[in-house]
Amino acid sequence: MSAPGGAPSPAPRSANIAGGGSMPMQQQQPMASTTPVGAPPQGTHQPPQSSAMSQQNLNQIVIDYLAKKGYSRTEAMLRMESANQEIDGRPLPPLGEEARPKYRLGFDLLKVWVEDNLDLYKPELRRVLWPLFVYSFLNMATSFYMHDAKQFFETNKNLFLPEHTDDVRALEPISLPEHVQDNSVAKLYRGNKYRIVLSNPAFSNLIQFLENKQKEGGSVMSAILSSFCTVITKERAVDDRFSFAAMLGQAGSDQFLPAEDEGIPGHHPGSAYTGDNPAMAGTLPRLKLGKLAMEPTLESDVRGELAESDEKEPPALGRNTLVQEFEQMIKKEEDEEGPSRADIPYPPATARDLAMEVQKVKENRDRFRIEGRTGGVGPAVSVCMFTFHNTYDGVNCLDFSDDNMLVAAGMQESYIRVWSVDGKKIPSTYDNVDGKQQQPSNSHRLIGHSGPVYAVAFAPSTTRTDDSIAPTNARWLLSSSADKTIRLWSLDLWQCMVVYKGHDHPVWDLKWGPYGHYFVSGGHDKTARLWVTDHIRQQRIFVGHDQDVDCVCFHPNSAYIFTGSSDHTVRMWAVTTGNAVRMFTGHTGNITALSCSRNGKILASADDQGSIILWDLAPGRLLKRMRGHGKGGIWSLSWSVESNVLVSGGADGTVRVWDVSGPAQDPAQGRVVGEGGAGTKIDAGNPGAASAQTSTSGIGKKKGKDVVVSPDQISAFPTKKSPVYKVKFTNMNLIIAGGAYLP
Amino acid sequence: MSVWNPDNIRDVAESVGIANLNNDVTENLARDVEYRIAQVLEEALKFMRHSKRTLLTTQDVALALRVLDVEPLYGYESTRPLRFGEASLGPGQPLFYVEDEEVDFEKLINAPLPKVPREISFTAHWLAVEGVQPSIPQNPTAADSRNLELVSKGPNANATLAAISGVGNVAVKPLVKHVLSKELQLYFEKVCNAFLDESSEEYRTSGYSSLREDPGLHQLVPYFVQFISEKVTHSLKDIFVLTQVMHMAEALVQNKSLYVDPYVASLVPPILTCLIGRQLGGTADLSEQFALRDLAASLLGLIAKKYSHSSHTLKPRLARSCLKTFLDPAKPFGAHYGAIIGLHAVGGPEAVRVLILANLRTYSNLLTDALTDDNPRRPEAERVLAALLGVLATLREGHTSPLTNGHAAVLSDELRLQLTERVGDLIASRIADAGEVHLAHAIVTSER
Repeated sequence: MSAPGGAPSPAPRSANIAGGGSMPMQQQQPMASTTPVGAPPQGTHQPPQSSAMSQQNLNQIVIDYLAKKGYSRTEAMLRMESANQEIDGRPLPPLGEEARPKYRLGFDLLKVWVEDNLDLYKPELRRVLWPLFVYSFLNMATSFYMHDAKQFFETNKNLFLPEHTDDVRALEPISLPEHVQDNSVAKLYRGNKYRIVLSNPAFSNLIQFLENKQKEGGSVMSAILSSFCTVITKERAVDDRFSFAAMLGQAGSDQFLPAEDEGIPGHHPGSAYTGDNPAMAGTLPRLKLGKLAMEPTLESDVRGELAESDEKEPPALGRNTLVQEFEQMIKKEEDEEGPSRADIPYPPATARDLAMEVQKVKENRDRFRIEGRTGGVGPAVSVCMFTFHNTYDGVNCLDFSDDNMLVAAGMQESYIRVWSVDGKKIPSTYDNVDGKQQQPSNSHRLIGHSGPVYAVAFAPSTTRTDDSIAPTNARWLLSSSADKTIRLWSLDLWQCMVVYKGHDHPVWDLKWGPYGHYFVSGGHDKTARLWVTDHIRQQRIFVGHDQDVDCVCFHPNSAYIFTGSSDHTVRMWAVTTGNAVRMFTGHTGNITALSCSRNGKILASADDQGSIILWDLAPGRLLKRMRGHGKGGIWSLSWSVESNVLVSGGADGTVRVWDVSGPAQDPAQGRVVGEGGAGTKIDAGNPGAASAQTSTSGIGKKKGKDVVVSPDQISAFPTKKSPVYKVKFTNMNLIIAGGAYLP
Repeated sequence: MSVWNPDNIRDVAESVGIANLNNDVTENLARDVEYRIAQVLEEALKFMRHSKRTLLTTQDVALALRVLDVEPLYGYESTRPLRFGEASLGPGQPLFYVEDEEVDFEKLINAPLPKVPREISFTAHWLAVEGVQPSIPQNPTAADSRNLELVSKGPNANATLAAISGVGNVAVKPLVKHVLSKELQLYFEKVCNAFLDESSEEYRTSGYSSLREDPGLHQLVPYFVQFISEKVTHSLKDIFVLTQVMHMAEALVQNKSLYVDPYVASLVPPILTCLIGRQLGGTADLSEQFALRDLAASLLGLIAKKYSHSSHTLKPRLARSCLKTFLDPAKPFGAHYGAIIGLHAVGGPEAVRVLILANLRTYSNLLTDALTDDNPRRPEAERVLAALLGVLATLREGHTSPLTNGHAAVLSDELRLQLTERVGDLIASRIADAGEVHLAHAIVTSER
């Protein structure tokens, strides 16, 4: 159809007007429908439906009049001017080529505005840019402005690369509306509202700005904010994140980390509730983090056994007797509730369980004690490193048995190999299996999987001693693989016992429960599953993650499990109900390792961006973020017996030891020195601190990567080109580490 | 801009017999193909990550395709990364293809089996002991890990932790001051003064014997070592001081109650200076100078003997420094002298045979030049010659000549010839003059 304002043509005039108005954009649709096409031009005698209608009709009458009189130029002028009016006479938003939603313009404007804003609001306002960027891009993609979308993405993606690497990578290839429907990340963003927290003044500032700049794209930005985001406003004073001191602290760190309650799952910190019900928001189910009580009969048996050995070898002067030690170990702390045995059924205790408990008490008494940081000096831990050679990068995972006798490696070539750690021959338990004599050797191959093996785990065991009543060595091994199965292997027969099928996709990780019997697995099918060794089907399925479940871990009282996922969240689930009870957000990369402290109060999670985060379970809060590892994944975490030291090993080939109770916060927040007016004094009056700070940032720039080592790292031990796959604190507080030498 | 452009689509379409594809279709298909490739790669990356690798393999891609419910591409080797060849279609139009060798079936069958890859094995070592990384070959050296950020920096960093882990040149003030008692300080001063007292022989001797015998001086050892190296550096011209501090070093080494092992590394350089230094004692008498070198040599020998068990590299290091001086013709004869006796002191006859004898023929030319009558270096050269003959004489020990009986103590011409061949004319004639038949035999028969 021709543009309005063309040569006057008397005949189809009215249709022309209506069509001219509705032509360029859909926004005009209502008007087209309310103005009956081909209605008699002399509509005045019809009763006007509304004042707006009469206005429109008036225009038509005038136009008709002008046409009749031959005032063609005046008519054209009137048409042009009236075309841009809404029904009630107000001017319409611009249309046509002009009318493409001005995402780019709006975004650029906003970007500049945020950077020019007061330092006070800058950090929080910066957080707004990411959702606006994503939704702008997706909207452009769905409305076929592909070229613009690509350009927009290319120019702005660098802003978000450090924090949202994975999302940026996932969104980048999107180039058709169908892709938006198909892409899992895009679906996540489109299907959920992005939650963001702003302080009151910042938010009103933002809205004011957007309204001011409505024509230059402010309207689309505010549309995104209202339809795709949940903006939660808070008083500045209540939330110490917005305090002046925190702002100052942030300025020192080179990376702005997302707040815990920001993002797609949109939840109150710690709470696993993601629904819309405001009454439910922020509910934190009560956790029973206490120890799992021992079976009464087993407890008395253990006590008897310990008393006996106390009599045999009385403890050295000044040391606890074993019985005393045992009492201490099972002592319940007050205000701490443990799960009951009825909730988590276990088979009745056997002689082996008894022997293991006894041995645990002995090891606990005789362990190397780590008393925590004294006089600023960290504990002197020892690390024994096992380096695998000639692997050709074929080792996927490692595990050491708790009795420190065996080490297992899961291979890319679908088999598992188990060695004895000391290199001696592994004694065979049964002499005559399958009618053939087994040749004792120092390693065994377990063949059965039909895909790369991604996790191996030894069943709980304790060091074998001569005087124990039953053998306590490791007898079972679990493995999970890309072939969607989990296999249970007997280490007496060196054969596969059970194949657990249930996962629909590769199984990434699995862990034994703290007392055996149960185990948990997580896989590519976005679920974690709880299994009991004597059932071939899973007992619970934990569903909720938006991406693969990459790693799993048990709580030491076996009432909860933890899962870490590619959606950058860590969740805690109750075994008894199968419900999520906590959710932790704050990671900016894929979660690569999880470990719960032995006292059951703190969870450590690590991501492939090199940070480790400690979470306080009961209040569901982030305790601190520990940085130091290079990028590429922290493959393993382990806690000391006292739960005050954490050790980590990763792809950067270092084993690092961390102080859990050390400086309470990371450097960014730790520098909060003064409040209010004293704040300015920090920089002026303390040149030492200021220069030190600039020097660190200088180093950061020079190296071009953000490897910051936070001050709670006790020590770092580099290996020779060996990524560390597994680290483990033994019950005696020795660290065992395993890795493959990759020249 | 796009990796997979519409032209590719058209090419592929033509190859399967679809001639006229709509432009819109190709455009859309190209975009979609690109998106799908990215999707597959995204999945493949997951497999790579869970294999704890940093290199994407074809197997990862195959597994990713399987997960996406697509038939994997078969026929790519997964054990090593794909190699791509590049062919040029024209300017700026490189074409990449997978290198696919043609293998002759006959040959492949008849070829010997490839070597079995080495078995996976593992070794254990201490990555850290009591919080400190031991410097053993299995652990990276400080230089290797220099680029790694290992220690926390910045205002909150804990300097003590950095110092303990031994990385980072953090200037740390020691938490505990090294406290020396008044008495020890007094003693230290007295002994140092006594050693350097030119006037009283008794005073010197008593200082020497005290240092040599007294127990309980351990705290002072680093200070003495420091004193020695300071004195040697600052009084190179004063032969008396040099001699005295050498005595002091000897006393330290000889004292049974002191544990000097950790300080050997800092004790050796001053001694080496006194042994093979260019200029010792300035204008002092030649014999005094050479006496100092003798003293240093014997001291070095003592140290080499006493501490070689605690440091395997000590002897080779000492021998290497001496040998370097010996082989440097630019060095004065005094230094050569020191090097020769030093080598002997450190390594015994074995070192003489392997290190000195092998180079003697060339060296004798140097000596012959210097021994001409009017050469000002003649006296020194004489001493070197004497020292050489002296150390060569040690070769005789333990050498039982098969020709002891029935032969006069003269050298046969043949032997003489061989000797000259071996050590040069000058030394050969000296040996012959002295009638050292056994020595001559020892030299000639010692393996090269």
